[in-house]
Amino acid sequence: MKFVDEFRDADLGRAGAGEILSLVEPGRHYKVMEVCGGHTHSIYKYGVDDLLPSNVELVHGPGCPVCVIPMGRVDDGIALAHTEGVIFTCFGDMMRVPGAQGTLLEAKAAGADVRMVYSPLDALRIAKENPDREVVFYAIGFETTAPSTALTLKRARAEGVANFSCMSNHVTIVPPLRALLESPDLRLDGFIGPGHVSTIVGARPFEFIPADYGKPVVISGFEPLDILQSVAMVLRQLAEGRCAVENQYTRVVPYDGNLRALEVMAEVFELRPHFEWRGLGFISHSGLRLSEAYADLDAERRFSVPGVRVADPKACQCGEVLKGVIKPWECKVFGTACTPERPIGTCMVSSEGACAAYYNYGRFARDREVV
Amino acid sequence: MSDPPPEACAADHCITCNDDGVPMTVLRLDAGAGLAECTDAEGGRSAVETALVDPVCEGDRILVHAGVAIASLPAEVGA
Repeated sequence: MKFVDEFRDADLGRAGAGEILSLVEPGRHYKVMEVCGGHTHSIYKYGVDDLLPSNVELVHGPGCPVCVIPMGRVDDGIALAHTEGVIFTCFGDMMRVPGAQGTLLEAKAAGADVRMVYSPLDALRIAKENPDREVVFYAIGFETTAPSTALTLKRARAEGVANFSCMSNHVTIVPPLRALLESPDLRLDGFIGPGHVSTIVGARPFEFIPADYGKPVVISGFEPLDILQSVAMVLRQLAEGRCAVENQYTRVVPYDGNLRALEVMAEVFELRPHFEWRGLGFISHSGLRLSEAYADLDAERRFSVPGVRVADPKACQCGEVLKGVIKPWECKVFGTACTPERPIGTCMVSSEGACAAYYNYGRFARDREVV
Repeated sequence: MSDPPPEACAADHCITCNDDGVPMTVLRLDAGAGLAECTDAEGGRSAVETALVDPVCEGDRILVHAGVAIASLPAEVGA
């Protein structure tokens, strides 16, 4: 494929780093939050932060779909998985997320029929292949993934697949950003906006950040040069004393998003009054449940779901990590009791999680020495 | 529906959970089912729902997430 190597070109990367250096004021400390876990993963995979001046700090935001699922919702999934006659389907990373009752992988080992799927359509296929079983799809993800779930539910309805249902844990990106901006313990100078979420919602939903909070936002692609350029665009806005939503990822993201995806989401989902986020607590209108029109496909209505709230483990500081208040290595259990093999917190589960990104790409040893 | 590519949910990286978008090329359309057989850069194949980017033609480039095309891509441009 053309234009992949070009987005990873070392000379262009060094030139981008030089541009960033020219834009910063000595003595000023900049905190820029990358909202999306995909960016966090790229930053550490490619060492993008090593190219930044020491006074430009990247703060890792709450945009990892797995990391924000609270323990109670995991336990609800495990209870559903153990329900007689149920085939429980979910994405791979979700199977390793710990709840108070263990993980879905452990539930599978204990006899529950838990199957990993790559897409909701795969879960629907399993339902069609097993008409005598109830197939539940445990849906997670931001607006990038929600349209896929919505289309699958429409397809299930159209094809009359009566043994298929969905437990929605879909979340939306704007409410947690507003919550972070209202947080008194976090001072941010700007945002690297989520690329693939914006493919669906567009850039417009982020306009409240410059309008209400006076901070720049740059929607970014995921290659290392995309991220460097986006950091430079944020710093340029700050240097010029302005703030706006800018779109670095124009090759994929239309400013208005994907209107068809937004329509199908509006048909199939409705906003929950509130939804609990791991480490962030309850946030109003931040979660999606199935609309009344699709109530018959809602696993939470079809089955008995405990719905018990479980407090986060005391030792785990995922909340502070998700808010960017502490760095992963500053957590008491990072790299000791909590590792990718045996995660305590969700940030260590998914490679998008800030803790796993630090751990997997060598930040563990280096940063421990710095500390 | 074809099986997911083997790297889709490897131990250290789940491309669906991670909000990844995979650039793919449309090989063949199944208009009746609303699906398209697509291939990625490594030659992996999968059936992709195209309702959000229709109309698509054979040879078109699309960005795929969780089995659904979420955006059209300019020819030969990475994502």
